[in-house]
Amino acid sequence: MEELFFIQGEVAPALWKGLLVSFRLIVPSALFGVVIGVFVGVLRVFGNPFVAGLANTYVALFRGFPLVVQLFIWYFGLPHIGIYFTPYGASVIAFSLCSGAYHSEYVRGALLSIKRGQMLAAQALGFSKVQMIWSVVLPQAFRRALPGCGNEIVYLIKYSSLAYMITCIELTGQGKIIASETFKYTEVFMIVGAVYLVLTSFASWGLHHLESRFRIPGFQHYGM
Amino acid sequence: MNGNQIILQVEKLTKRYGDKEVLKDASFSIRKGELKILIGPSGGGKSTLLQCINFLVRPNAGRIFLDGREVLYSRKRDLYAYRQKVGMIFQDFNLFDHLTALGNVEIALVRVKKMSREEARMRASAELDRVGLKDHMEKYPAQLSGGQKQRVSIARALAMDPKVMLLDEPTSALDPELISEVLSVIRDLRANGMTMIMSTHQISFASEMADEILFMEDGIIVEAGAPKKLFARAECQRTREFFMKIAEIYGESR
Repeated sequence: MEELFFIQGEVAPALWKGLLVSFRLIVPSALFGVVIGVFVGVLRVFGNPFVAGLANTYVALFRGFPLVVQLFIWYFGLPHIGIYFTPYGASVIAFSLCSGAYHSEYVRGALLSIKRGQMLAAQALGFSKVQMIWSVVLPQAFRRALPGCGNEIVYLIKYSSLAYMITCIELTGQGKIIASETFKYTEVFMIVGAVYLVLTSFASWGLHHLESRFRIPGFQHYGM
Repeated sequence: MNGNQIILQVEKLTKRYGDKEVLKDASFSIRKGELKILIGPSGGGKSTLLQCINFLVRPNAGRIFLDGREVLYSRKRDLYAYRQKVGMIFQDFNLFDHLTALGNVEIALVRVKKMSREEARMRASAELDRVGLKDHMEKYPAQLSGGQKQRVSIARALAMDPKVMLLDEPTSALDPELISEVLSVIRDLRANGMTMIMSTHQISFASEMADEILFMEDGIIVEAGAPKKLFARAECQRTREFFMKIAEIYGESR
């Protein structure tokens, strides 16, 4: 009974506050991440060697550095050269850029899977390269990349928990504070974990829904 | 010849991959309403020639004139405008997999020709009707047979009002019983005065329909002439051999 009051009275309000911050981290980071990923993926496949090289370097860096290290650089490192971000700003930038690098990999794979013949057909009809990418290649690549990109968004939901390391107190951060004040680590983090589970389940469900909305003959995934 | 003006003129087209010349000094011209058929062994340069004509493959040398004006293909704007006037049909159809038959025909009208949606839709359904696909307009490529796909691709090219059509072995990827439905569409086009350059192994179709047959081998147009002349008494020994062999395979000679 005492436990229940503890959860209701202290844990729930704090975690709710944290959850709202988590939302404000995840939603824009996911959107920016997808946009960056599509853009960078297209440059890597269709850009001239110089542009493709730049895009590849970006991916190598942001996939290669641990995300915590990236957060530290954005928040603690850059002020040394006079660039300041709020904890929230630094987190969204770090998450978007990291997520974008991973998305670009899924997008690249999808772009490479589009048959070259369709691109020849588009060019033969008088499409410019940009028109061809926009109206023939991307709509198909989008469908093929969706499962992978969805997966990346599920990851993002969980790695948003790193933001508290640079004092952006979101769900995990709030949990940590309560837990260290009350020493009820097990209870608090079980609840925190469960909340993430709900979030990721909800995201998976939504992404599945999106996949079936865009399903057309010839692009199905066959379950065995 | 029917005395019409020359629509397309190809002058000494050459294409090299490294040291290998896959197309050597190919020259010919085609008049309005003519059907020229490229015949020859696989790897002889037929596809390369057709793809060089609309610059999907960049030739290393040579010039192309449309309606007497040279195509300046290094200018993007000119190139895109030229390609709109030259329809292309591929062996593997190359339909856009994410669009219905109607969408496939519509998209270039909207994106390239900047037609309104309604106008494009009307034009696209008229073209699909013309190739006998009125009842299949809402189907996706994955739901169509090979012959239907190829007819969609013909409708897609026709909707652009091309001055000349390039057909790269349009029936080679089809099951035997589907070939005739595509050939009959091409026959209709010919009857309606479409100018066409087509590569094919369909010897009987070629001998029946072509104004001129160009025999190609090793990247060279070895011999050209009316079907009757080429089939009966080809000047070049190699041409004769090829026609004899292919007549044997397809069990026909006319």
